[in-house]
Amino acid sequence: MFVYEKKLQYPVRIKNPNPALAKFIVSQYGGPDGELGASLRYLSQRFSMPYPELKGLLTDIGTEELGHLEMVGTILHQLTREMTPEEIKKAGFDLYFVDHTAGVYPTAASGFPWSAASIGVKGDPITDLNEDLAAEQKARVTYDNILRLSDDPDVNDVIKYLRERELVHYQRFGEALRRTLDKMDEKNVYALNPAFR
Amino acid sequence: MESNPSNDYRYGSLPARAPLASAYVPLQDGAEPQYEPQTAIGRGTLFPGLDLPFRGMVNGPLSDTPLGELMAMDFVADELELYLDTHRDDREAFEMYQHILALSKTAHEKYARKYGPICQSDMLGMEKYAWLCDPWPWDVCVKGED
Repeated sequence: MFVYEKKLQYPVRIKNPNPALAKFIVSQYGGPDGELGASLRYLSQRFSMPYPELKGLLTDIGTEELGHLEMVGTILHQLTREMTPEEIKKAGFDLYFVDHTAGVYPTAASGFPWSAASIGVKGDPITDLNEDLAAEQKARVTYDNILRLSDDPDVNDVIKYLRERELVHYQRFGEALRRTLDKMDEKNVYALNPAFR
Repeated sequence: MESNPSNDYRYGSLPARAPLASAYVPLQDGAEPQYEPQTAIGRGTLFPGLDLPFRGMVNGPLSDTPLGELMAMDFVADELELYLDTHRDDREAFEMYQHILALSKTAHEKYARKYGPICQSDMLGMEKYAWLCDPWPWDVCVKGED
């Protein structure tokens, strides 16, 4: 089960509301490579993992991603506070606002609501770890793109932190892949699924 | 792979025969060197070898507030947990983990006594049901940040 901690993993304090930025940052909340998908991908994949290292790593990174989901939600909440209808229209936030007001909804920036179609759970550790390596790179590129588009130092401070976490996770998933290959039977040269025989 | 003696920690070890048709990430060779906790959380990693910022854009150390201190300790613990998940036999890293768990526990209890519960179990012995007290983590002003 999960126990909530009433604090963020890293501080978020956005001084200036700016709904124009929220329009694209929302993708890391509910977009194809966002934190919701990341946490559900890892927390779902772990059930069929055959080795304790993999169960532990997917549990721990999946849990951290839930913390990142909360941080991205906090950025969105603070960017969209105290908006006037004029500001909403000027920022082009009206299309989101009409459906969700200033609520935080898991959707891609392009308007597609969060979908499990953007994550993979194959039930094979080698395959799932390769998916996870790719997922971390995709999330990292999304944060690169946000840094290219955003000029708010308070937002970028948090985005730089979240981006670096993807690099650390990539390293750990790579190590987990090697541990998995080391554990598999030397005769299992075709890497047949060790989670389903 | 080019190797510079002064920053060997940036390079992992490859086996004599890395297998074909298989993605390969070198193992991190030990949990040192490390950043100090406040710097580590600012950079987003405990390990200089994994610190690869976008266009050289980096954050400074986290401010030395009660909340900042707690976040930094918890961050180092989280980072060591992920490292230990793939390096379970690294005794030195496990000793560092023991040390940081003790520091984190102290910082957690100190913060909860002064500003209110972080976990519901922190309310043991408190005089009222303080769980509902503002602010919440997504509020703009959070206790213990100044």
